[in-house]
Amino acid sequence: MVETCRTRAALPVDTAPEPRSDHALMLAVRDGELDALGELFERHHGPLFGFLLKHTGQRTAAEDIAQTVFQRMLKYRHTYRDEGRFAAWMYHLARRCAADHFRKANAAPHATDPADLQDHADDAPDAGARAAVRDDHALLHTALARLDRDDREVLLLARFQELSFAEISGILECSVGAAKVRAHRALHALRTVYFKLQHTRSA
Amino acid sequence: MNCPTARALFPDLLDARTPAGAHADARAHLASCPECQREFSALSQTLAALDALPTPAPTPRLRTNFYAMLEEEKHSAASVRSPAPPLPGTRTAARFAWLLSPLAACALVALGFLAGARTAPTASPAGEDATARKFAQLEKQLGDMKKLMAISIIQQQQASPTNERLQEVLVAARTENASEKVLNDLLAALAFDPSANVRLRALEALYPHADHQAVRAGILATLPREQNPLVQLEMIDFVASAHDRAAAPALEKIAQNAAFDRSVRDAARRALAQL
Ligand SMILES: [Zn+2]
Repeated sequence: MVETCRTRAALPVDTAPEPRSDHALMLAVRDGELDALGELFERHHGPLFGFLLKHTGQRTAAEDIAQTVFQRMLKYRHTYRDEGRFAAWMYHLARRCAADHFRKANAAPHATDPADLQDHADDAPDAGARAAVRDDHALLHTALARLDRDDREVLLLARFQELSFAEISGILECSVGAAKVRAHRALHALRTVYFKLQHTRSA
Repeated sequence: MNCPTARALFPDLLDARTPAGAHADARAHLASCPECQREFSALSQTLAALDALPTPAPTPRLRTNFYAMLEEEKHSAASVRSPAPPLPGTRTAARFAWLLSPLAACALVALGFLAGARTAPTASPAGEDATARKFAQLEKQLGDMKKLMAISIIQQQQASPTNERLQEVLVAARTENASEKVLNDLLAALAFDPSANVRLRALEALYPHADHQAVRAGILATLPREQNPLVQLEMIDFVASAHDRAAAPALEKIAQNAAFDRSVRDAARRALAQL
């Protein structure tokens, strides 16, 4: 009984610790607590993979690049800065890794493997609607693939990644104004290609 | 404002980061210009289509490779960096005070037994390394044991004839060619017994029967309701060593749920990589 009371007093049971912020986790990784990167992986690998898949149009490449991004986080963990924000740093690394990928793959033209991208529309109610949705997704993937790589990159960063333009400008290593101009230009370009493709399909 | 100037601002108007009151002149132009309304609608359709693009999940390969890489880095980092300095004396003393509790000692023996029983049959060239790692892992978990034992002791007091139930489970465990009834009793003990010790013993007794689909399914069904992190850890170990792909969704949920103890979430992730 005495034992129990003592144990109970020493231990506030059911005080679940607050989840640590991304930034706190990455600082912990930097300071040697490498397991904290597991938590960051679980939080971010999905969106990161999504970004890379839309950017490269290839599943295997997107997975390989995502893997490399986490590898570099470990390798360069000592360069992570106190005042940084984790997501911005991650996409900064991702951009570099993707650039390496495109450099290597440059011999072959960028090609979207349709099998990679057309099998994900499974929430439409019937086969006809499913095919239509799939076509629409395929159309947009094609439109994305036709953009300049830089346009696609800034568009995806601005639209999906919940980053501020200050952070995007940091990732792209340009001014905030320039980042905005590029994002706007990219959106107009996508709109043009997308509607042209739609027109071709219905014609 | 003319059309080109207004259109240059449309992406801003469609961006959630832009404050609601910004670009009032562009909004005013848009309200009165049908041409620009068409253009605005085209842009917003494009963005809607972009937002609607599904994001498929990566294959399990990504997670497997990530955790393999992390383990490798931890080992090479450990060889160059000395471990963190030990905590001040008082804290260390307090951490081991619970060892005096006879109940805790029992649990420790059980843990040691579980670890030994499980690593021995799989001895391979890498076996020794794996065993060392397993023990390093157990050592790490010891930090949490004091808390776990506190919970266990409270549960013990709530339900008194623990020893009797423990005996029953152990008798059942010794039965060769355990019948379906024995397996069901063990699964029921695992699911409903208020004592964490009894649940642990039940799990231990189920180990030789991991090839039964019904046993694996029973453990999987119990896992989400289990409250004790130590039992959770052992259950995760069980499904991981059974290499049951059906465990993946349950493990994914644990890995992503901050309500679970950190060590439990880590274990779920390692298990996912092993499946
Ligand atoms: Zn106009």
